[in-house]
Amino acid sequence: MKIIVDARGLACPQPVLLVKKAIGENEEVTVLVDNDIAVENIRRLAAKTACGFSVTEKEGGVREIALVRTGAAGQSPAGTGAEAGPSCGAAPGKEAGSVVVVLADNRMGRGDDVLGDVLIRAFIHTFLQLKPLPATIICYNAGVKLAVKDSAVLDDLQQLAQAGVDILVCGTCVNYFGLGDQIAAGRISNMYDILETMAGASRLVRP
Amino acid sequence: MEAPPYAVFLFPSVSHALKAEKILKKQGIVYKLIPVPRHISTDCGVCLRVAVEQQELAAEALQGMVAWERMVLL
Repeated sequence: MKIIVDARGLACPQPVLLVKKAIGENEEVTVLVDNDIAVENIRRLAAKTACGFSVTEKEGGVREIALVRTGAAGQSPAGTGAEAGPSCGAAPGKEAGSVVVVLADNRMGRGDDVLGDVLIRAFIHTFLQLKPLPATIICYNAGVKLAVKDSAVLDDLQQLAQAGVDILVCGTCVNYFGLGDQIAAGRISNMYDILETMAGASRLVRP
Repeated sequence: MEAPPYAVFLFPSVSHALKAEKILKKQGIVYKLIPVPRHISTDCGVCLRVAVEQQELAAEALQGMVAWERMVLL
């Protein structure tokens, strides 16, 4: 499937986040941007995710970028590490886009499971009000249970994804819990992506 | 995206909120457990949010089952 991402007028890192999401879900993506930073960020994303990249100058300073996934069909793009993440002109590692949230459990804190369940729901819901939004949310171990169909925070995660937050869901964990057909938010990821993203983050937030 | 109008039920404790949650779930009322909005209280509390249309239904379900402190429209 081929889609068009119109990222004109959007501030960094929104364009590359939108494209990252789009290329994860589509074989071909056409992107419209109006600045060089976005072009370069998307060029790097393409290199990292094994996508063909070409850019054409259009009227009014608009650049049309064509991305074609060249990896095996159905394979999700690899490597979205924040160390190679969007560069927005700020000092490396300082951009707001590299805040990474790690959901390592489907509860918040230790001590009482019922309370932990209440807290994690409040935590994730409140993320929608955080400015700027985190670049990435990583779910692993029991944290993947937050992304299933009947999760109480599914709507929140879906809204975050829509707002451009990349949600990585640990594939090993999904497999371990037998939730392969239950995941309804984010994209299945692997330890390479997870480690790269965490290692490259300027800040990690853990509930 | 304009948020649809909601009503929130505030409870005297987290346990009350959880008890109320079970009741709403049983009744099939769509709700969401959220932190108490800042403008209502600075307590680190949670409340139950329902769509305004379901507010009366929720109040009926909770009546006599669990006490709530306040109901606030968002």
